[in-house]
Amino acid sequence: MDAITLENVTKSYDSVTAVSGVNLRVRQGAILGLLGPNGAGKTTTIRMIMNILVPDEGSIKVLDQPVSDSTRDLIGYLPEERGLYPRMKVLDVIVFLAALHGLTEEEAARRAKEWLDRLGLAEWSGKKLLDLSKGMQQKVQFITAVIHKPPLVILDEPFSGLDPVNAATVEEIMLEMRAKGSTIVLSTHRMEQVERMCDSICLIDKGRNVLDGELRAIKQSYGKNTLHIEFSGSDSFLSNPAITNITRLGNGVEAKLKPGADPQEILKAAVLANVSITRFELLEPSLNEIFIDRTTRA
Amino acid sequence: MRKLRLIIKREYLTRVKTKGFIIGTILVPLLGVAFCLLIIFLVRHKPSQTMRLVIVDNSGTLAQPITHNLDGKLENGQPEFNIVETIVRPASPDTVQQDLRSRINSEKIDAYLWIPADATQSFELHMRNPDNFALIGPLSGAVDQAVISARLSARGVHLDDVKEILRGTDLKLLKVSETGESVEKGQSIGIAIALVILLYTALLMYGIITMRSVLEEKTTRTMEVLISAVTPFELLCGKILGVAAAAFTQFAIWMISTALLFTYGALAAAGMGAGSALSGVHIPISLVLYAGIFFFGGYFLYSAMFAAIGAACSNEQDAQQLQWVAMAPLVFCMVIYSVVLNDPTSTTSVVLSEIPFFSPVLMSLRISLQTPPVWQIVLALVLLFLTTIGSIYASAKIYRVGILMYGKRPSLVEMFRWLRYS
Repeated sequence: MDAITLENVTKSYDSVTAVSGVNLRVRQGAILGLLGPNGAGKTTTIRMIMNILVPDEGSIKVLDQPVSDSTRDLIGYLPEERGLYPRMKVLDVIVFLAALHGLTEEEAARRAKEWLDRLGLAEWSGKKLLDLSKGMQQKVQFITAVIHKPPLVILDEPFSGLDPVNAATVEEIMLEMRAKGSTIVLSTHRMEQVERMCDSICLIDKGRNVLDGELRAIKQSYGKNTLHIEFSGSDSFLSNPAITNITRLGNGVEAKLKPGADPQEILKAAVLANVSITRFELLEPSLNEIFIDRTTRA
Repeated sequence: MRKLRLIIKREYLTRVKTKGFIIGTILVPLLGVAFCLLIIFLVRHKPSQTMRLVIVDNSGTLAQPITHNLDGKLENGQPEFNIVETIVRPASPDTVQQDLRSRINSEKIDAYLWIPADATQSFELHMRNPDNFALIGPLSGAVDQAVISARLSARGVHLDDVKEILRGTDLKLLKVSETGESVEKGQSIGIAIALVILLYTALLMYGIITMRSVLEEKTTRTMEVLISAVTPFELLCGKILGVAAAAFTQFAIWMISTALLFTYGALAAAGMGAGSALSGVHIPISLVLYAGIFFFGGYFLYSAMFAAIGAACSNEQDAQQLQWVAMAPLVFCMVIYSVVLNDPTSTTSVVLSEIPFFSPVLMSLRISLQTPPVWQIVLALVLLFLTTIGSIYASAKIYRVGILMYGKRPSLVEMFRWLRYS
């Protein structure tokens, strides 16, 4: 059974087509990275899965049920545009939202306390939201998305505003949820996080999905065509017709090779140019590179 | 239903628990009542001390009738005035005045009344604390009566005859109702105007509260989190009903306290001798019921419109620019109500009071003036009910689209286009 199935989904606003013929299947128990440039149609897609928007064409299923008002309770949602009643108390607001998702108020309060403890907010439970820092509010938001143990969780930029320690905690919780069988859709611009956590990705650009599938398979399909070189000395050896694209890093470069090019030629050129090399490695392209490659193609 | 109940509960509790609500509901009416009682008390308050008075009579004739007229009693049964001495036509007025002034300063007497030789000149009351107003009234009355009586006698007329001649007539207002009973009224117009103002203020106030509440969820970006759990329609209905429940609470408290004021307050006021002002007001229970029904019908109609406006805008300024759409019919009621007041049965009045946007105010006004035919009331209610359903339906559509739109304020044309979105 798939956690999410989108078939030929299209949605337009007046004259703008936000999403056009998107097909997607998300395997149950996987973490999907939903990627795309700003304005690509990610939020519209998510809102259609949430049944907040209705597609003009196509069909959407969540856990094999066509989306409806009742499938909402199967999903935990952390929207990009988020906020909570600033004058409500932390515990009250969590209990209110958890109760809306079907928990009894007693159960909601019990779980809320556990979560607040785990995320280091126990002593803030009686404070008003507006007294909390942005990062703390973010953690409260996260709790409201997962407290009802939904089989599907959609997180839109869950790490924004979190320090590395809290981001690591949230990551840990997400991996735990996957281990217990939950499916997670993660929409973010932080590619290193996607590479670390996601099983599969879906890349949307200008309303269409331009790339989707298992992350490992996608990277393999690109082949080992990227050189990671760390060196000191002149970089003139890089102006080689075999190199199509160079990304400069702090202590070296990532050089993309022409199909069929021999990396040994580059190494020879570097040695001839008297450059001292500390690292020379042939890699699969990074997700960052794939993202840029796919979204800047004419 | 469970979700709707949760939303209503949250909305209701957040309204009712605010300081503003507690102050507005309990403190303001309490202060109002206290203020009224204080005024009644001050106006009716009698001093507890007898005024020790010396009368200096330069006319030689007025001291005796004035003394006769100063026969009032204080609350404790003591006389209001104690005429310590009457000096008739003093030989050396200046010496007498000087002597009296020193007696006032040494607090042997409180005041002296100086009667001029010629009654066309001023009478003077000399006292140490010229702030004892409560006794100046009776004194001035006694002087007037003595002087007028003297003038009338000079023309051979008796004061009582004049009183008899000048007594006014009593114009009784009678209200004819369909059941044929004649009920005395008189405050109907006062009640009617008060009702119009009350309905107008309440509809406007609670409408704007609903609008603000929707707007708050948008500006704080709570909206999308909420509609991941409930449908926009549930959210809209919960909000309107939650604010309605808070409004109902407020009204119930006000009505009960008014009723208590009219019964116990009237008794208390009667005890102070001010009963007539309050105890005469009679508000028929049927009017309260009808006005209540029309108010809630109107509340749902208008708050749905205000909620749609709140949903369409992203900030307070935009909402203020757009809220005239919902306010205009209410303001029109305030402009036009005198037409209905002057002639509640005219065709214009009947037609106006049937229009759903006006009926909450204008039909209530007509009911308070005279009982309109039942079919007119029923028709107005049916029309109001249908329009309210339509208004909530349209608002839900605008709401569903608007709550996730940020940025430029939509035009009315755009909002109408939203009605066609699926």
